[in-house]
Amino acid sequence: MTDVAAITPVSKERRIAASRWFAPSDRLFHGLTMGAAIAVLLLLGGVILALLQGSLPAFSKFGIDFIYTQAWSPARDNFGALAPISGTLITSFIAMLVAVPLSFGIAIFLTEICPMWLRRPIGTAIELLAGIPSIIYGIWGLFVFAPFMQRHVQPFLINTFSGVPVLENLFAGPPYGIGILTTSLILAIMVLPFITAVSRDVLETVPAVLKEAAYGLGCTTWEVARRVMLPYARAGVLGGVMLGLGRALGETMAVTFVIGNAHRIQASILSPGTTISATIANEFAEAMGATYTSSLMALGLILFLITFIVLAFARLMLLRMNQKAG
Amino acid sequence: MTVETLDPIAKQADTTMPPKVSIENLAFFYGESKALKNISLPLHDRKVTAFIGPSGCGKSTLLRILNRIYEMYPKQRAEGKVVVDGLNILDKGTDLNMLRAKIGMVFQKPTPFPMSIYENIAFGVRLYERLGKEEMDERVESALRKAALWEEVKNKLHSSGLGLSGGQQQRLCIARTVAVRPEIILLDEPCSALDPISTAKIEELIDELKDDYTIAIVTHNMQQAARTSDFTAFMYLGELIEFGETKQIFTHPGKQQTQDYITGRFG
Repeated sequence: MTDVAAITPVSKERRIAASRWFAPSDRLFHGLTMGAAIAVLLLLGGVILALLQGSLPAFSKFGIDFIYTQAWSPARDNFGALAPISGTLITSFIAMLVAVPLSFGIAIFLTEICPMWLRRPIGTAIELLAGIPSIIYGIWGLFVFAPFMQRHVQPFLINTFSGVPVLENLFAGPPYGIGILTTSLILAIMVLPFITAVSRDVLETVPAVLKEAAYGLGCTTWEVARRVMLPYARAGVLGGVMLGLGRALGETMAVTFVIGNAHRIQASILSPGTTISATIANEFAEAMGATYTSSLMALGLILFLITFIVLAFARLMLLRMNQKAG
Repeated sequence: MTVETLDPIAKQADTTMPPKVSIENLAFFYGESKALKNISLPLHDRKVTAFIGPSGCGKSTLLRILNRIYEMYPKQRAEGKVVVDGLNILDKGTDLNMLRAKIGMVFQKPTPFPMSIYENIAFGVRLYERLGKEEMDERVESALRKAALWEEVKNKLHSSGLGLSGGQQQRLCIARTVAVRPEIILLDEPCSALDPISTAKIEELIDELKDDYTIAIVTHNMQQAARTSDFTAFMYLGELIEFGETKQIFTHPGKQQTQDYITGRFG
């Protein structure tokens, strides 16, 4: 008792002295972190402003028609964004169509079925796949994958679907090797590790008791994964999918190598096309005149908007899913 | 509290009927370490058997062998025999899904699935039966009634099961287990996360369920074991110390260790 009484006043004094020193440094820390957070807003605002300003000439010349005309002729100074927009959306769509189920499959295998000794090697391989620079995918796509597609896959697709209504048009034309489908597949390979890694991480957070309860009810592994694990981890999984989609929409280098850079929209997904980012990357250096440059800036703004809409849509979807299941 | 109060008819019925489950010389391993040693005991048909003992004595482990849920973890294995309706369920050929349809389990913590209250129950049923909408509605209602939850949730069947209170969630899990129409229900400390009122409801429920089901319950609560069970098994350090009728175990335990544990001298 006497010991405590003797210590108390000293520690109180010390505390005041300490807080005198802490108070300003705490305020400084406050200011620093807040400044860093506000810098993000400023940067974002700056980018949007610059894009808006840059694309103003194009939009004032072509109006809203810019978005849905297919013309792209630097010689006549006439530009429309429809071909790159559709190329961007189609390649990303096909890429997700291929990558999402594959990624889920890998993630579920890794968390539920994979024997322990194989988990590390596969997990590491996926992380390495994510680390490959996109230029490598571009080179590989142009020199290895596209010829392979041209020689084996595309002739097979054309022959198989000739005569089948609708599909016949989707897989028509000479096998160029490069084109929409080849690009989509490379994009799929590129986004696969992202979706897989994120999905695996969130699936691992599913509590063991929940899985035990599901298995204890007599579920098969598929039923546990489909009905219990994926719904439980849906927010994270959707986040992973959106991360992948964002990458697919914006991917530039690899796409520029293998898409063919044709400002035409064709029914066949074997034909060459272009995307927004590929067009910008390809043509910015040689863009002459205010309208041309501004049209490319406008493309950038559109890509920005598409990404924004995709994100907003994902949020909305998540909100509705949460209301449904909780 | 004396031996004379034992119901002679109940006792007679127990010994004449063959046990629903017969555990014979069961041993269990977590990797190298032996968690259960040479356990043999019966679970009688449509009776409640309570497993008591200090933490780590292996009672939950024993329960987890009965529906082979331990197989989710590669380093765990069981040796010996667990005979259910004449078949050894530890045999390699056992259909785990069918086994688990027959032996339901309720866990220590409530484990509602991330779906609506209705779906939580219909989900399990759909694994085994194809029911029309009306039949399914009936099944869901009867399961919820059995679990004494119907009145509380009948107006919000399609809202999330995660929105219920802990006690309600646990009763939902019991309803889910009952809806599949198992023959045996395993309860692994079902009340450890619940308040006294929810606990009382679940104990009442156990009392009603034993008309139709064979029940095994693991509990840390002596009074709960005494109140709810017909038979009690006392386990210590992976061994079965004593097994017998609950009244006998709690009034005239045969072993000193049992006596010490139930009177609270260690545990």
